[in-house]
Amino acid sequence: MSSVLKISPLTRVEGHGTVHVHFADGRFDRVELAFVEAPRLFEALLVGKRFDELPEIICRICSICSSVHRVTSLYAIEQAFGVEVNQQTELHRELIVNGGQIESHALHLFCLVLPDYYGLRGFADLATVAPGLLQAGLRLKAAGNLIQEMVGGRLIHPANLLIGGLGKPLTTAGLHRLRSALQEVLPVAADAIEQFASPLLAEVSLPFPSFMAVANRPSHSGGEIVCGNGSSFPIVDYRNRLTETIVPHSHAKQCTVSGESPTVGALARLNLGARLGPVAIASLNRHGQKLVGDGITANSLAQAVELLAAVERALEIVELLLAAPPTDCMQVAVTPCQGTGTAAMEAPRGTLIHHFAFDSRGICTATDIITPTAINQGAMERDLGLMARSLEGVDRQELARQLEMLVRAYDPCISCAVH
Amino acid sequence: MIRPQLAIAGLTACFGCQLTLLNCEAELPDIADRFNFTYFPMGMSSPDITADFDAALVEGAVSTPCDLETLVTLRNRSRLLIAIGTCAIFGGVAAMCNEEPRSRLLRTVYGPAADGLASFNPAPLERFVTVDFAVTGCPPERGELLATLAALLRGTFPALPAYPVCLECRSRENACLLIERNEPCLGPVTRAGCNARCPAMAVHCEGCRGPVAEANVAAELELLIAKGVSREELVRRLRRFCPEWDYEQRA
Ligand code: SF4
Repeated sequence: MSSVLKISPLTRVEGHGTVHVHFADGRFDRVELAFVEAPRLFEALLVGKRFDELPEIICRICSICSSVHRVTSLYAIEQAFGVEVNQQTELHRELIVNGGQIESHALHLFCLVLPDYYGLRGFADLATVAPGLLQAGLRLKAAGNLIQEMVGGRLIHPANLLIGGLGKPLTTAGLHRLRSALQEVLPVAADAIEQFASPLLAEVSLPFPSFMAVANRPSHSGGEIVCGNGSSFPIVDYRNRLTETIVPHSHAKQCTVSGESPTVGALARLNLGARLGPVAIASLNRHGQKLVGDGITANSLAQAVELLAAVERALEIVELLLAAPPTDCMQVAVTPCQGTGTAAMEAPRGTLIHHFAFDSRGICTATDIITPTAINQGAMERDLGLMARSLEGVDRQELARQLEMLVRAYDPCISCAVH
Repeated sequence: MIRPQLAIAGLTACFGCQLTLLNCEAELPDIADRFNFTYFPMGMSSPDITADFDAALVEGAVSTPCDLETLVTLRNRSRLLIAIGTCAIFGGVAAMCNEEPRSRLLRTVYGPAADGLASFNPAPLERFVTVDFAVTGCPPERGELLATLAALLRGTFPALPAYPVCLECRSRENACLLIERNEPCLGPVTRAGCNARCPAMAVHCEGCRGPVAEANVAAELELLIAKGVSREELVRRLRRFCPEWDYEQRA
């Protein structure tokens, strides 16, 4: 006798997904993680568009990560045309990516994960059961969104970030406003870490992840991608290292590196030695032990540490911009030419790669987009299987609850994964 | 006061319209107090699509049998159906290449495996069901979404701008990108409500809120073609958020 436990739809995640656990004669047989999101076919939509249309379209892949999609596409296009932007533009881009990180991590931790600590359905119940904590999370989230709105001109799908520069740089008054908003939430971010230090998931031994992340230096297109086993490869070489396969039950392609399913995201970055500011380092030192050894379990804690780090870094950037002399011309001239460009950045959920080819008029002839959740898909499915096997015999409702929390630990962004 | 039962669902989209609701950080606790989120998979567990809803807010275009099933279920279960965002109203970005065969687009991404995929041209909700109200934008403005929720509590709908972006742009005293810089700004044919966000940053309007009623599309094309922008480029830009324009339409 076979039976199937269906978790459909996965909730408190971004996008449409399902988990099916198959049992044969009451014993665990296999698990299928399906990203059933409708494909929008961005890689096909972008072909035939002119280079300057790409960033405006590509950010629509995902609302939560629209800023980092936009910035990654800018670096890839600029690499194709040999464009370099000035320091101030770089700082604006780094600032908005940090703003996106703050917003995304705060949303995930406080609206999507926190209800699990209280056994609640979601944020709406937190509003009555733990209003203080929800408020703290929303204040952090609002600070991230303030950055995105002020730098990008719109808080989802930023419009102000252009190839070769910026529409309108932040004003001194704007920078002061950001500084006070960020200073206000810095202690909130520091306090939040404790909340996510205790593990949520049932104690199941999950494998040590094969971590992967974009190296901090030297640049988003000329840099490297590093792996947990100490190996690394240049970003431009990603096609020879990352293998994408189509799996019949999911609309997102699965990624492997040398046959293994990599894990990307906050936990990977912290394990691979992300650069952090002093405040974040202090909290990492307090909790660092918990970030190793339990598979993906500690990813929420890693996100909480990164949330603090992002607030800290955003404040630093604001200071740098305040100290920089104002420049009038934020725009570098761009002349299209035939060529290809590749860039990779760390999105909130991990490594994001954009690759474009252009003809001599700057019309896009081919694209390739690899997103963090597509990369994590294999590891996620593997861990779901391991957990379902270890929890054999546990009642179905509890099993479903544990599996959903495991998926949430990965913080999937399914609209990105399928795109 | 009774708490209206809400359904909030996403079809073929980026989840930006639903995120816009969650981005109302200051108002969110109050919203949670005034509404029941009976079906909102992105925000709440145990979603119940079999409930009777006072209003269903639906994001995204319809491009799969699954989308259609969700849409029809919500239409049948809900007193009001509200389209949120450009995709739900006009098709949005996913529909920009609808003039090309779907099978070719699918094959570009999935190769031969594409043939097993159930996917059709992304289409607006109105193609399949009656829509009671619409809040446009890619993404919608927080203020317009909040105004809609507030109006729902009073059993009505808000009056949203029905004029073009230029009106807001001129009242902000921005330099006109179309007239002064010969840029292909779509402000004259695009529905306002964004307070001309993009032109205020010297970025021309990309038309993300969709066509304004009685848009003078023909004049926009003539004006820009005279300025040296190709018709091909203009049509491509217009189609980015709405695949069906009447290029001959005059106000
Ligand atoms: S810049 Fe664009 S939106 Fe503003 S007035 Fe000119 S055409 Fe209209």
